[in-house]
Amino acid sequence: MDKIRRALLGQIAKLTAGAALVPLSSLASAGINDQPPRREGDPSKRYAMLIDLRACIGCQACTVSCHIENEAPLGSFRTIVSQYEVEHEETGDIATFMLPRLCNHCDNPPCVPVCPVEATFQRQDGIVVVDNDVCVGCAYCVQACPYDARFINEHTQTADKCTFCAHRLDVGLLPACVESCVGGARIIGDLNDPDSQISRMMKEHYEDLMVLKPEMGTSPHVFYLGMEERFMSRPQAKPAIWDVRTQEGEEIGYEFDGH
Amino acid sequence: MNSMAIEVLTPRYGIAWYPWAVQYFFMIAVSYSALLLTVPGLIFGNKNYQPLARVALLVTVTCTLVGPVALLADLHQPLRFWHFYANLNTQSWMSIGSLLLPLYLVMVLAYAWLAWRPAMQEQAQEPGWIGKLSGWISMGSWQAPRWMLVLAGLGALAFAFGIMLYTGAEVAILKSRPLWHTNWLPVMFVLTGLVAASGLVVLINRLMTGNDEEINRQGLKVIFVSMALAAVVAALWVSEGITGFSPSVEAAFESLQGNAEWRMVAIYGLAVGIVLTLATIAMLRRPGWMTRAWIAGLLAVHIGWTFRWMVLMEVQTVAKNTAGYYQYAVEAGSSGLLGIVGTFGLWLAALLIIDILVPWKKGLQAGSH
Ligand code: SF4
Ligand code: SF4
Repeated sequence: MDKIRRALLGQIAKLTAGAALVPLSSLASAGINDQPPRREGDPSKRYAMLIDLRACIGCQACTVSCHIENEAPLGSFRTIVSQYEVEHEETGDIATFMLPRLCNHCDNPPCVPVCPVEATFQRQDGIVVVDNDVCVGCAYCVQACPYDARFINEHTQTADKCTFCAHRLDVGLLPACVESCVGGARIIGDLNDPDSQISRMMKEHYEDLMVLKPEMGTSPHVFYLGMEERFMSRPQAKPAIWDVRTQEGEEIGYEFDGH
Repeated sequence: MNSMAIEVLTPRYGIAWYPWAVQYFFMIAVSYSALLLTVPGLIFGNKNYQPLARVALLVTVTCTLVGPVALLADLHQPLRFWHFYANLNTQSWMSIGSLLLPLYLVMVLAYAWLAWRPAMQEQAQEPGWIGKLSGWISMGSWQAPRWMLVLAGLGALAFAFGIMLYTGAEVAILKSRPLWHTNWLPVMFVLTGLVAASGLVVLINRLMTGNDEEINRQGLKVIFVSMALAAVVAALWVSEGITGFSPSVEAAFESLQGNAEWRMVAIYGLAVGIVLTLATIAMLRRPGWMTRAWIAGLLAVHIGWTFRWMVLMEVQTVAKNTAGYYQYAVEAGSSGLLGIVGTFGLWLAALLIIDILVPWKKGLQAGSH
């Protein structure tokens, strides 16, 4: 049963990666919880990211450079690389699996329509951003994102998330994570430009691309190459780091236990 | 797949809605439920239900006043609350709520003002500052016709349905948390709200109005019916998961399988629910036991509050994207324990102030006919 479901989800994932190329922006309407019209940004572009997991070595250079570039508070991350250890039950062989996570800049972002003050919005180039001067910090968007890509920044007390480094893209620079990626695993670009590297790679690997949690209907625009189906949704894995506790249940050396 | 995976590295995400949210959801649900309890006595003018309406109105007003305070406190930028009105986004359920809530508050206050006014006018004749204040509050000695009260009551009722709808929908539309994403959740909020409100009415009846037997009986009946309906709803929700595909039920079973704490909570919830239901039956059957109705009242309040705690706080500890659960311990500060205690303290203060100022135990306007 579980296998069948997973296989099914795998199919959906591939299909959604394809469907994502049809822009949803045209479907915006005005019912409750429908997507509001996009605003700002270059309407001729649609930014997206392709992550070639085969090239990711799990060094967390992206995590660190993003943290420095975007000044996220300690313990909060706009991007992070989840790391899994997979042990073969019979042979005992161990393999590691790296999964960089960030905001998917979904084409149907559930975080946007819930915002009661329109502080969170999608630009016409597809980037989902937060206007921190408007945000009231209700955290509704944090709840609505299926990917835990948002958090309340404890310094600004407003919603915070990956912006594809829009401030860098707008002046012709690459996002900090892309710039610092050792393996060149992160490729960002404009899907509307058929000659961009991302468009070419998407065409080439069309069959093998996957997105996270396709069943949520969010149409993510971060595409993964070399993805394993079992990690697509909430993985059935043993959480290791939270088990670092003493007999009395007290944490031993968890770095960010500051609050 | 015959392999085992261990998540080696992942950040821990804090919860985004604090216990303030539980306080708001609790207060506002008790408020609209208690408002429903005033309907037969106050709006329909049924004499048998007037003592109940008297206590229920007090509960409605106090909870309606305190609820929004808790809501404001749950914002990380409470001073920006005016952005809700300056940057209206009526596509968001929360925004719809921000429009409904003040209107509901105003209608409830108008309703209570009209109901309490005759007694206030009487009190205005007395010497001293209370008399003077009562004169100001009742705004003159003219008689408000009964239709005004009925109209205000119906208005409050209309907005109360709006509040029921928006508080439920706000949470239930979130696909990101499968446990919340079910149409049964708003129904459950209302039913457990009725349980808690009736419980609180019975409790206050014990403490402030001399344990009136009729109020106890009516309160217990509402608790019993609501508990029975809640059981039906829970059964329907589970059967939806068994017969078809319900991500909500699936997520619940997953958590029950994977987490001993959740199993404990589920067993506890089931046990307390059964105990309360049986207790109300016993008390309704044996006249002598009715004087102990306040015990059932206390349990009812506990259930109404704990249901919201489990739904809003515990569900947030389920990792959305990664394996496992977050540890959430209530903090001592204003975002945790202090907030919970503070809200209840504020409610108690509101109750006592109204008790001093308003002769709410006297006949309500509806009673003068
Ligand atoms: S990943 Fe989350 S925050 Fe990013 S656009 Fe999608 S729903 Fe919104
Ligand atoms: S936290 Fe800010 S951006 Fe998010 S929904 Fe609330 S107001 Fe909008």
